[in-house]
This record gives sequence, C-alpha cells and structure tokens, in this order.
Amino acid sequence: MTDNTLIKVENLTIEYPMADGEVFRAIDNFSMYVNRGQIVGVVGESGAGKSTIGKATLGLLDENAIIDTGSVFLEETMVSHLEEHHYAQVRGNRVGYIYQNPMTALNPVLTIGEQIVEAIEANTDLRGSDARNYAIDLLTQAEVPLPEERLDKYPHQLSGGLCQRIVFAIAISAKPDLIIADEPTTALDVTVQKAVLDTLVRLTRQENIAIILITHDMGVVAEMCDHVYVLRHGKLVESGPTEEVLQRPTQSYSRELMAAIPRIDHKIERFAVPGGLGQAGDRERAIAYLMDRKSDAGVEGQPLLQVRNLSKTFQTKATALKSASSFKAVSDVSFDVFPGETLGIVGESGSGKSTIGRMILGLHQPDEGHEIIYRGRNIADLTSRQDKLEHRKSLQCIFQDPYSSLNPRMTAGENITYPLTAHGLLDRSAARQLAGDLMELVGLPRASARKMPHAFSGGERQRIGIARALSFRPDFIFCDEPTSALDVTVQAQLLNLMKDLQDQLGLTLLFVSHDLAVVRQMCDRVMVMKAGEVVEAGPCDKVLVTPDAPYTQGLLDAMPKFSFAAAQ
Amino acid sequence: MSTETTTVDAGTLADRKSEEPTFTEKFWKIFRGHPGALAGLVGIFIFLLLAIFAPLLAPQNPYDQMRLDILDGLLPPGSRLGDGTLSLLGTDALGRDILSAVLFGLRISMVVALVAVIIGSAIGIFMGLLAAMKGGWVETVVMRLVDLKMSFPGILLALMVLAVFGTGIDKVIIALIIGAWAAEARLVRGVAMSELKKEYIDSARLAGLSDTKIMWRYLFPNSISPVLVVLPMSISGAIGAEATLSFLGVGVPITEPSLGLLIANGNDYILSGKWWISIFPGLVLVTLVLCINVVADRLRDHSNPYLRGKD
Amino acid sequence: MLNFILKRLGQSAVLVLIMSALVFIGMYVVSDPVAVLAGEDFTDEDRAALARELGVDRPLVVQYLSFLGNISKGDFGTSFVYNRPVLELILERLPATLEVAFMAMFIGLVVGIPLGVYSGLNQKKPATKLTSFLTTVGYSVPNFWQGVLLIMLFAVWLQVLPASGRGDTTRLFSADWSLFNLDGLSHMILPALNLAIYTICLQTRLARSGTQEVMYQDYMTFARAKGISRDRLIRRHLVRNILIPIVTITGLQLGALIAFATVTETVFSWPGIGKLLLDSIHSSDRPVVVAYLILITLMFVTINFIVDVLYALLDPRIRYT
Repeated sequence: MTDNTLIKVENLTIEYPMADGEVFRAIDNFSMYVNRGQIVGVVGESGAGKSTIGKATLGLLDENAIIDTGSVFLEETMVSHLEEHHYAQVRGNRVGYIYQNPMTALNPVLTIGEQIVEAIEANTDLRGSDARNYAIDLLTQAEVPLPEERLDKYPHQLSGGLCQRIVFAIAISAKPDLIIADEPTTALDVTVQKAVLDTLVRLTRQENIAIILITHDMGVVAEMCDHVYVLRHGKLVESGPTEEVLQRPTQSYSRELMAAIPRIDHKIERFAVPGGLGQAGDRERAIAYLMDRKSDAGVEGQPLLQVRNLSKTFQTKATALKSASSFKAVSDVSFDVFPGETLGIVGESGSGKSTIGRMILGLHQPDEGHEIIYRGRNIADLTSRQDKLEHRKSLQCIFQDPYSSLNPRMTAGENITYPLTAHGLLDRSAARQLAGDLMELVGLPRASARKMPHAFSGGERQRIGIARALSFRPDFIFCDEPTSALDVTVQAQLLNLMKDLQDQLGLTLLFVSHDLAVVRQMCDRVMVMKAGEVVEAGPCDKVLVTPDAPYTQGLLDAMPKFSFAAAQ
Repeated sequence: MSTETTTVDAGTLADRKSEEPTFTEKFWKIFRGHPGALAGLVGIFIFLLLAIFAPLLAPQNPYDQMRLDILDGLLPPGSRLGDGTLSLLGTDALGRDILSAVLFGLRISMVVALVAVIIGSAIGIFMGLLAAMKGGWVETVVMRLVDLKMSFPGILLALMVLAVFGTGIDKVIIALIIGAWAAEARLVRGVAMSELKKEYIDSARLAGLSDTKIMWRYLFPNSISPVLVVLPMSISGAIGAEATLSFLGVGVPITEPSLGLLIANGNDYILSGKWWISIFPGLVLVTLVLCINVVADRLRDHSNPYLRGKD
Repeated sequence: MLNFILKRLGQSAVLVLIMSALVFIGMYVVSDPVAVLAGEDFTDEDRAALARELGVDRPLVVQYLSFLGNISKGDFGTSFVYNRPVLELILERLPATLEVAFMAMFIGLVVGIPLGVYSGLNQKKPATKLTSFLTTVGYSVPNFWQGVLLIMLFAVWLQVLPASGRGDTTRLFSADWSLFNLDGLSHMILPALNLAIYTICLQTRLARSGTQEVMYQDYMTFARAKGISRDRLIRRHLVRNILIPIVTITGLQLGALIAFATVTETVFSWPGIGKLLLDSIHSSDRPVVVAYLILITLMFVTINFIVDVLYALLDPRIRYT
C-alpha cells in the first residue's frame, strides 16, 4: 500500500437477518482500494450488493445489517465501525454521497437553499450570508442556471437533472476527499445523463476528489472510471484497470456481461448469452397451435397497419389548486408497418412513444381526425362484438413493468389463459394444456404454470407476459419497453427469445424503447420521436449510423462510448 | 452468528423461487415472536365460545323476569341467591346474576358489531370498487357521500340516526353500518385506483374482458387486503361504539342488555360502593376489545412495509 | 390560492345545505312530530290543530324553506323542556364544552407528539414497547368506561377530585368559564383527562408511524450523509414532514372531541352542549336536537375548511403547483 491509498475495504462481509431465521449475505468477503483522486467503478447487476459498500463507508447501513467480517478504512479511520456521533467528521466533511434518485434525495418540504446551507454550515466555518453566498457559488459551479432564484424553490419545482446538480453541489460543498455516487444518472434521460456526468467529473477533478461510482451501466464505467470492480451476488468476480477488464475479461461471468450489452455500431444475430429452451415436444405443440390461425398474417408488400395523422392531447382536470390545462403528447404522427417487420420507436421519456402504441391498441382514445387502418379496415368501423374480439386477439402487447403486468392473484397459467376461457374459446383442460405448452415455448418449465407470479423473477415474468400475448395467436405485438426494467444479461436472453419467436411465427412488432442500442439490435426500421413529434424515420442502418436530424445525432453522441473489441 | 444459521447470497435467493406460502406458514409469519398478539387471538377465540355457549354456561336466564327475585338485589360477588345458586360476580338491583347478564350481554355486543361490520364492509368494498372502476358521475356521487360521512365523527352520526329512527338493536346496527362503510369505501377506492393504473389491468382490457369480469377477477382480489387488515379494528370499534350508545341509553333496549347497557345500569351504584355491577361487564368489554386490538395492531404492523422485518 | 379558498367555501356551503336538508327530513318527515307530541287522548281534530300550529300541514318545500329562513335569522325555536329560545340555551352551554375540549386537545398534543416521535426513533427500547402497549390499552377502553374508572379512582376511593358538575365559574367575555379558578379547574381535570386519553393515544400513534415512515425515506438517509447533526435532522427534516398529517388529523380530532364530549359530559354531569343534546334526545326536545345538529354541522364544516387551507399552506408540493 502506498500513502496514496484513500479507501481500503478489506474482506468485508455484510449480512442481513431474514424473517425466516436465515441470514442473507449481501456482501461476501469483498476487498477494494481507492487512491486519492481516482475514479473507481463498482459494477454489477441488481442484487450484486453494490450499494451496500457505499452505505457501509458512511455508516448508513440499515439498523439490522451486521458487518460480519472485515472493515472499511478511510486512511487511518475505520469508518465501518464508528459510533453514530463520530460520523459527523466523516459524512459530508470527508466523504460526500450522491443518491440514485435526486427527486427523493431532497426533502420535499424544505427549500433548496436551506438544504444546501445546512450542509455548508455543518461541514465548514461559513455561517449566515457567507454560507448562502457560497451556496450560490457552488450552484454556479454545478452549472445550475439562475442559482439565486433556485435557492428559494422546493425540489418538486425543478427537473430531475437540476435536482441532481444540486445534490452534486451539496456533496462537494466541504471539498471532501471522496464522493460515493450510487447510480447517479439512472433516473435521468440519456441526454441529461451525459451533461450531468461531465459536470461531476469536472467538479471532482478540480479538487482532486476521488469517486466510487456504483453503477450497472458498462458504458458509464468505460467512459469515466480508471479502475473497475465487477460484482455478482455480493462476491467479487474480477477487478483491474477499466480497459483491461472491459476488453479482456478473464471470468466467464464478466465475458457474458460484456456480450450482453447491446451494441450500437452493428446488428448481430443473437446475443452470446446462455439461455435455455423448453421441452421440444411441448414447444412444437405450442408452435403448431400458434401457426393455426384463421386470419392471414398480411400480404407481403402491403402494410399491415397504417397510421395517419395520429394525435393525442391529455387534458388535466382542474384540481384544488390547479386550473385545467392540456398537454399534447403526440402530434400528427403517420407511419406504416409491414407484415413480419419490426418498427422501432425511440425517444426520451415524455416523447410520446408509448402513447402511440396505446392508442393503436385502443387503451387511449386518440384526438379527432386520425385514421388507424389495420389489415385494410379502419378500426373505428369495427362495431360488432365478433369483429372487435377478433381485432383484439390479433393485436397484443408486451408490457414494460414485469412486476405489475401480471395479475398477482392468478397463477401464471391462469394469467396466460383466463381471458380465453372467459370468452368461452377454451375449456379448462385445454387451457391448462395450452398454458403449459406456452410456458415451455418461452423457456419456463410447464409445471411452474401453477405458481403465483410473485414466485418468478422479473425476466421470468416478462416471459409469462410474452406467453400471455401469444395465447391469442396475434399477428401484431406492441412491445412497450419490454426490457427496460431488466438486468442486461436477462435483457439479452429475452431479446434472443423475441427474435426466435418472431422468426418462427412471422410476427409483426412495434418496438418502443429509450435505448438506441436495443432498437438497433431488434428493429428493421426506426422512428425517432421528440416531444410528441417524429424527428426522423428510416432504416436503422441509416438513421442510427448517419442520421440527418441533429437531435438523433445528439442522442447518439450522448450514449456512453463502449468499445466492443473483446466482447466477441 | 451461530453455526447452524443458513447463509444465502443473492444468487441462491433468486434461484429459490418460493411456492405460495400455505395458510399455516402465513399465520406463523405474522404471529411468531409476538406472544401478545397470539394471546389476543386465543382470547378472541375464548370470547367467541363464551358468546356462542352463553345459554349453557350461564347459571341463570337473565331475560326471564319471572325468576328474578328483588330480594336477591345488590348482592356482592360470591353471595348465594335465594334459590341457593352461587352468584360468582354478584347481582344487580333487580337481583339479576351479573355473570349470566355478562355472558348474554357479550353475545349481543358481538353479534351487533359483527353484523354491522360485515354488512358495512361489504357495502364499502362494493362502493369503492364501483367508484374506481366506473369513474364519472358514479365516482362523484360515491365520493361526495363518503366526504359527507367523513366530515362527522361516527358517534355523532349514530346519535343523529338514533335520534331520528328511535332505539333498538336493528337501529343500532343501521347506525353502525352508516358509520362503517365510508372509511372502507375510501380505502378500497384508493387501492383500486392505483391497481387500475397497473399493466395487468391493461392486459385484461386488451383481452376484451368485460368491466364486470375485470372488476371481480382482477380488481377485487387485489384491492381487498387493506380492508381485511383493518377489519379487526373496525369490529373492535363497532363493539366500543355500540357499548357507548347503549351506555348513553340510545342503543339496545333494556330487555336485551349489551355490555354497554349493563355498565350504564351499574353506573348509578358506583358512588354508593356497589362497584361490581358496573366493573365486571366493563372488564369483559375492555378485555374483548383489547384482544381484538392487539391482533389488529399486529396485522397492521405486518402489512406495513416500513416495519416489516424491522422488529 | 384565492381560487382554492373560494371553491372550498362553496363546497362547505353545499355541505351545510345538504346536512340541513337531511336533519330536516329526519326530524320532520321520517318521524312525525305530531305523533310525538300528541297525547294518547288526542282526537283527529286535535291532531290537525296541532299540525297547523306546528306548521307541518304545509307542503314540504315550503316547510323546509321557512325552516331555513328561521335558521338564518338565528331562530331555532323554543325548547319544549326549558321553554327558552334554543340558540340562547346552546350558546350558554357552549363555553363549558369548548374549554374542556381544548384542554383535552392541548394535553393530547403536548404528551402525544413527543412520545410518538421518541417511539418512532427508538423502536427497540422498552419504553417504546410500553408506550405501544399503553396506547393499545388506551384505545381499547371505551371512553365512557374510562370516565367511570376515573370517577371510581379519584372521586370514590382517593376522594381528591370532584366527580361531577362544573364547580365555580368565572365570568369572562360574557360567558362562564371554569378554567380560571381553582374550584372550577379541579372539576375540569377529570373530564379533560377522560377526553385527552384517546387524543394522547391517537397523536402518539400518528407521530410514531409518521416518524417510522419518514425515517426510511431517501431524503433522510441523504440528509444524514450530508453530515448534519441528529438534532437538526429531527427538528427540521423529520418534524416538518410528520407535521403535515398531524395538523390534518388534529383539526378533525377537535371536531371528534366536541362530539365525544357528549359521552364525557354525561358521565361527569358536565353541563355542556353534549349533555344538553342527550338530555334533549331522551326528553324528545326536538328543537334543541335540530339546532344542535345544524350548529355542529356548521362548526365541523368550518374546522374542515380551516384544516384544508392549513394543509395547503404547510405542504409546498400543494402550495406551489
């Protein structure tokens, strides 16, 4: 160890007692070192125990956490085992902390000014108007426009990006030696992400502040970190200089992790991640069922779906303190989708991309003056019960949030087939058979159809969601950010599954995502949306490589750069 | 850490997909390590048995005016009645055996509260679901009714109802139902509104299911658990409210006295030192309500994510 | 903000109108006043005469409007029992109820909130477990029986405090108060305590669950990470957040206390409006019951209105949107 070592984590093991008397080991015999001024990444998927390390350094672990072995040293101080009142000299003073979600990190009932000034007064000798002036100075450094005005605002009046900059200002106020940044940009849009990260790096480089950057995002690590530690299930998998670990991972998990990252530069057939398939017999039976649809899947060269002049204005009702207002989520969007292709819609949050799909599905009522023509018929003309039901069955959806898209009070099997039995299309035993077959088709054991949703992981629930959509034998599936809530390796497996199913069943997909790289891997054509309008549309090979619109170029530039030399 | 404790990491935790816990497992999860709540549960069970078998257990039929002897009046606990029966808890001014009166009173108190809460909650759940599901004017009407109800303390509303309709067991039940439904309706609507935003409801709509099917198969089972959690609290509240009304003399009739009315009858004798007439029914009432409330507290704490696993 | 206040005022007015209609229907339509007042030896003609005298032979709408008209003039009629204007009767007894209710509220807040915050911060301490048990017991003992026990303990056994009545009163602002002299105060202790027990339990629980909930919020962890003192963390970050629900409930609780005063006043023979209401129900003194219900509605609507405005003022998320 050189004198330059700032943080020394040695053989740290942290456990949480669980309700049933067992012990959950969040961090298992983990060691790491951070030098002054160094930026160190701690990466891993959910459940890797990343955040626990940061909290242990500041004594912010949950009350019931037990540090079983090991310790964290900040130079000579053993910061993992201090008395609560001794942390005053560490927190804020020597170690700053940046929280994942800036909107929840700031107290909603106190002004921004009070929250910055109290941090300044707690950790420096400045008081009163001096502290206030320093707060304005800090906000200016953190590139918060109109800093003086912002001091009197409340957090909910500012955007997420601004709130995160304010959190930065608080974290650096005492010029600490170290900042622990726990997923600092996860809650932000990609274009904001980049600017905010740039600010953070600039602020810390100025003062030679070290950073422990906790993240799941390899791109961010590649761009920012000098050194990286890869964690899985609380254990260290691999560590080393960032270049080395990312380019030449030595462990199979790291290799898998790198291979699972969707790449923007060119489209690959499948992700090189392991993913099991179900029982062959059951799969074939499921595919036979799915192929046996009465409707035609559309004529080659003729659009399956035509959307013309689609707009949506949301009216907010007048409430106690707010007068009524309207917000145009989608304005005048037109496009075609051809049989068997995948059309991507990409944009940041609030760009209206999901709203388009929901209008096509009939979950939102579009504004007047639009036309949605599906298989040559305007869907507004569907009036008979039979027509409507056939239409419903032909258009299905894979939802975004695996934790809310299944009915928690029905088994996985019932979730898949209840609507069919409720419509009288299947009897109970046929439904059970079909549910099992579809479970195998999406890579889950058929016996698990009897389990309730809470017994499945997020990725597995998404598979059940896919099985449910398929049960109707649809021709067209709207995929509403189907992998945005999933870890990157799980995402890769799921995207592989969707590609396979599309190949076998000739499905037409409308694929909405905020992730340009995912769209690049999944889609033939893409529409880029911004604030409800289509900025640019065309083949992925064109739009995502040499875009015409400056906005698209901006999105591409904002993506963290990641070299894939080793990922093959 | 003892060596027998199993240690798991996030990987094995994720692999170990639990089966739906059985009722017994759920039960132990809630009550293990909480002897107070468990004792409360046992207490409730005993009170239920006492109420059900009151006619078999009571030494005397307190409603049989013919068998009461005024000469037995105001005997202290442990006295013998004229006919030789032991009066364990003493007698009241009419010569009625307190133990017998309490057992029968317990019965009336429990029946009134249970009937009122069950009907009230059913109405509340239905109204809440309907308001959330239908929206529009249905919701406006239901929620304005709830607001109207909630602007008044229950006791006052019950007094109003009883002042208008007069007294009697059926009137008390009506008054308690009017007091009970609104809170449940508001609770259910709140939960149902947030459930309605979830994607599984969208999936049901996409499947072309009718509103009725969505309401009963999707919304209902996912919206009632908060009501079930507060149900014991509602029951103990109703028992207390009925007792209060009867104590004030606007509840159950004198011919079928509940615990509250028995306490009121004894109240006049407190200053003259005849404490047993009022105290025994009071003790039973308090013990019953306490038993229900410790169970209710446990259920509520268990369902509160901020507390789960913290104690 | 002004818009909001006007809107809430309008809603309050509608609520009062609806309640007045309900009370009217309940008292004059559902139960027939003629049947209540008529003696057993009344002939049909006597009944008709009585109906005319009471004005109940007129169409319902006319009756309701004249009922409203009289009320707006402050004319609630004359008590059958006391033979005095009802409004006078109620206003005379209002101070007794108000002073005991406010006293109870004061005790409840001063004891309950600190106890609740302490319990929320120290979940594992024995004092917390004891507090938690005591609040459950406090909740479980019905108000009236608490009163009975208090009388038994302090008036019958210890004989240190009077069991009933109001004691000496002091005349202030043209009303009589027990609060300002020793004898009156000694009479007030038991009823105020009786009413306060429930408030203490409620406030303790509210402050405790609020504290527990707020303590696990991200902004509390972040505030700790900033290195501010524990004292400041509790005073500014915690208390400001739990104050919002507490203010709401406290306002509504004041209404509940006035309602529950009916029970306490009956137990302690405290001559407030609650006891007046019960006596009037028992003696079928209809004008008093009607006037009480209308006035209490007005009072509640006013309290709810103030609470709503206060809530909006306290929570910047509502204030600035």
